Amino acid sequence: MNKQSRIIIGLIIIVAFLIVGFISFIDSKIEYVNFTEAQNRTRTVEVKGSWIKDKESKFDAATNQFTFFMKDDYNTEMKVVFDGAKPNNFEVAEAVVVKGKVKDGYFHAKDILTKCPSKYEADGSEIKTYNHSK
Amino acid sequence: MIGKILIYSAFIASIISIFSFFKVHFGYNKYLRAGRTFFLITVTCIIFASALLMYLILTHQYQYAYIWEHSNGELQLPLLISTFYAGQEGSFMLWTFMTAVIGIILLNYVSKGNRLEPQVMFMYGLVLAFLAFILILKSPFLYIWDKWPGEVDIGFMPEQGKGLNPLLQNFWMSIHPPTLFLGFASLAVPFSFAIATLMKNKYNEWINYSMPWLLFSGGILGLGIMMGGYWAYGVLGWGGYWAWDPVENSSFIPWLITVAAVHTMVAQKRTGGFKKTNLILCILAFLLVLYSTFLTRSGILGDSSVHSFVDPGFEVYITLLVFIGLFLIISVVAIIYRLKELKSLSLNQNKLLTRESALFVGAITLCAAATVIFAGTSWPIFSKGSVDGAFYNKMNLPLAIMIALINGISLLLKWKTSDDKNFFKGLIFPLSLSVVITVVLVFIGVQDFLIALFACSALFAFFINAQIIARIFKKNWSLAGAYIAHIGIALVFLGIIASARYSEEENISLELNKPKEAFGYTLTYIGASPFEDPDNKTDVKYHFNVLVEKDGKEMVLKPIMYFSQFSDGVMKNPDIANFYTKDLYLSPMGLEVPEQFSQEELHDIKKGGELKMGDLTINFIDFDFGNTQKGGKEMQEGNFTVGAMMKVSDSKYTENLSPKIVYKEGNPEYEPAIITGNDNYIFYFTKMNVPQGEEEASATIAVVDKRNVNNENQTADETLVVTASIKPFINVLWIGTVVLVLGFMVSIIRRRKELYSK
Repeated sequence: MNKQSRIIIGLIIIVAFLIVGFISFIDSKIEYVNFTEAQNRTRTVEVKGSWIKDKESKFDAATNQFTFFMKDDYNTEMKVVFDGAKPNNFEVAEAVVVKGKVKDGYFHAKDILTKCPSKYEADGSEIKTYNHSK
Repeated sequence: MIGKILIYSAFIASIISIFSFFKVHFGYNKYLRAGRTFFLITVTCIIFASALLMYLILTHQYQYAYIWEHSNGELQLPLLISTFYAGQEGSFMLWTFMTAVIGIILLNYVSKGNRLEPQVMFMYGLVLAFLAFILILKSPFLYIWDKWPGEVDIGFMPEQGKGLNPLLQNFWMSIHPPTLFLGFASLAVPFSFAIATLMKNKYNEWINYSMPWLLFSGGILGLGIMMGGYWAYGVLGWGGYWAWDPVENSSFIPWLITVAAVHTMVAQKRTGGFKKTNLILCILAFLLVLYSTFLTRSGILGDSSVHSFVDPGFEVYITLLVFIGLFLIISVVAIIYRLKELKSLSLNQNKLLTRESALFVGAITLCAAATVIFAGTSWPIFSKGSVDGAFYNKMNLPLAIMIALINGISLLLKWKTSDDKNFFKGLIFPLSLSVVITVVLVFIGVQDFLIALFACSALFAFFINAQIIARIFKKNWSLAGAYIAHIGIALVFLGIIASARYSEEENISLELNKPKEAFGYTLTYIGASPFEDPDNKTDVKYHFNVLVEKDGKEMVLKPIMYFSQFSDGVMKNPDIANFYTKDLYLSPMGLEVPEQFSQEELHDIKKGGELKMGDLTINFIDFDFGNTQKGGKEMQEGNFTVGAMMKVSDSKYTENLSPKIVYKEGNPEYEPAIITGNDNYIFYFTKMNVPQGEEEASATIAVVDKRNVNNENQTADETLVVTASIKPFINVLWIGTVVLVLGFMVSIIRRRKELYSK
């Protein structure tokens, strides 16, 4: 095999790989949207927001689903049903990101990411409480 | 104060050292001494600063903001030590420390036998200077009153620190981050060698010097990544070891490039080719470490990664960008400057069926995998959104098949010459054996074509390597490193196929003492038992014991759930039964405790109010706090008793009753009351509602009519909900990872021997 034909074969492989890669990339891209937009999407999306603590949240052992209410950054509320138990750190998460689709008026989440304050640095007020209580 | 001085001194000394070595590069040899001395001063300052931080942690000096935020007095020694790198500042300190320690060894290494010392030390010093600069911006030695001015008095020392995130409170936290950072730090060495050789304009010798280092980085970084996987599997409880999380990816990408570089370096050693490739890969591996640090530290992935740190502040963000940008520019400029020489190095094309061609194709495949992961991981920077984990699996599967095939094929090929006949002859035995086994696997249930192909190619690689190891191990074991690493990869692939693709999962509700069948095992929840964790005395942790029985053998698995005050939430840890051919993985999901009273039995009565129930009339008069002061110390500590003063009348009697709630450490126990002569009813006081503002106070009273007691309801026991899964042949994966790392270590020994035998 001479140099030229080798380069051509190499290029064909690379181009083919790029095309396959691109298609599968577009396919598995997940967009960040809000709840209002999420209702118009058929694909999996991500919504960031916060848990509404004073609305009912429960775990149903029979279906293994955790249900809670969430509001997105535009204050739109929606019921979220998650396939699984309440994630670690859920109570203190200062923001939650749910990944899934809207179905029958609620958000069916396949995944929940919790953003925890423990990863955030402490703020001044916190050291102040330590200062005064101890 | 001393900490800050040490870091500033390290930074200044490193600058002097860099300039001195730079001078030496241009022939001013009298600066060599200064270069070495100031490099050693830099390193010494950093080591002392790290030792100081460790000392401050061990002696609980909470006036330092970093220590107050990440440490507390409950942690036992190993975890206390690990709080050193629990946060941003400390992990930069650890990285710098590792770089400093490696620096001593490196200086000693390059100063012997003229191994590009001034150039290497110039570059390596620059890396160290940048790290020291970040520590100036992000100091772990900041006092709380400097960090939060005005919030606390100067000189104030909190009695206790905030403590360590419970997710980090385990054995792996003690060893995983240092391993990873050792890998990161060590990649600065091949990078420095690559730039040094460009400076020196000589392209053969450097690979001999940098090869042991590159192998070390590959082995250590690989070990760190795998430990991370095991940590996820054994502690986090989601049932897997790899989630394509950006933080996981960001250490995996440089590792893939490092491994690719190892292969093209071997090829350069044997054939003299791939000189440019090696330079570029060594540079890329380190730049990708910086890039990964930027990704995970800048907060840019904050929404798409669970482990990602938060925004470190503008200065660090910019410094990291300058760090990457400057090193990228240095590399690109150096390569362009030497482009003419580099071009003239190109060799004549070699034949396709040679080992070097195979190694090159292998390296390309590894780079392709790195590119795929790089693209997916970087995506959130460019667009609001993320990439599904399925993308990585889909794209990497064909690449992994290629890698496994080349892994096997390359070993049957000879350097430089192509001997087609022998090659195909060597192929017959391992290939037919793997095909036969794959056919059996397909019959057992491996139905997916690509997965079957993957299994077949991994088996193929396994048999070829096994054959070679068997042949050479007795003669000269130190030559077996590559084959050991390759057999490790083959095992890892087989382990992944079996454990990830063929794992089964089921959610099971286990009622107390009622056995249930799952995956051929009998599982019985036999109750929870509290246990003491020496690292965490604040929380009471519980083992949720599950008896696992099969064929007359039994064992108890103890997944953990507890309420963590640090996280203000329930923390869960799985437990795993490890058998030879599979793991039974139990991840606790929740505990259902039946309500003590049914809804019909509970009544809310306002203060002064009345409730009529059949022939009963109940008046709630007031709460009885006894000697407890409302809102006082006892109430805050959660050890107190409150009564509900009630007047209860039935058709015959009227009586004053006072059922009580006894709180013990915040947990209520109900002390019932009954009316004399009528034991049909039992009265409980279950809740005190003391609202603020206009609303009236009320008490929740449970009236249990013994005649109505629904036995079924009362005997319903607590139920443990678990996710149980079977991970077939996951041991193959773990064994593979250990074998892989072992292979790297054996190779290092060989390459060092080679270096010194010359």
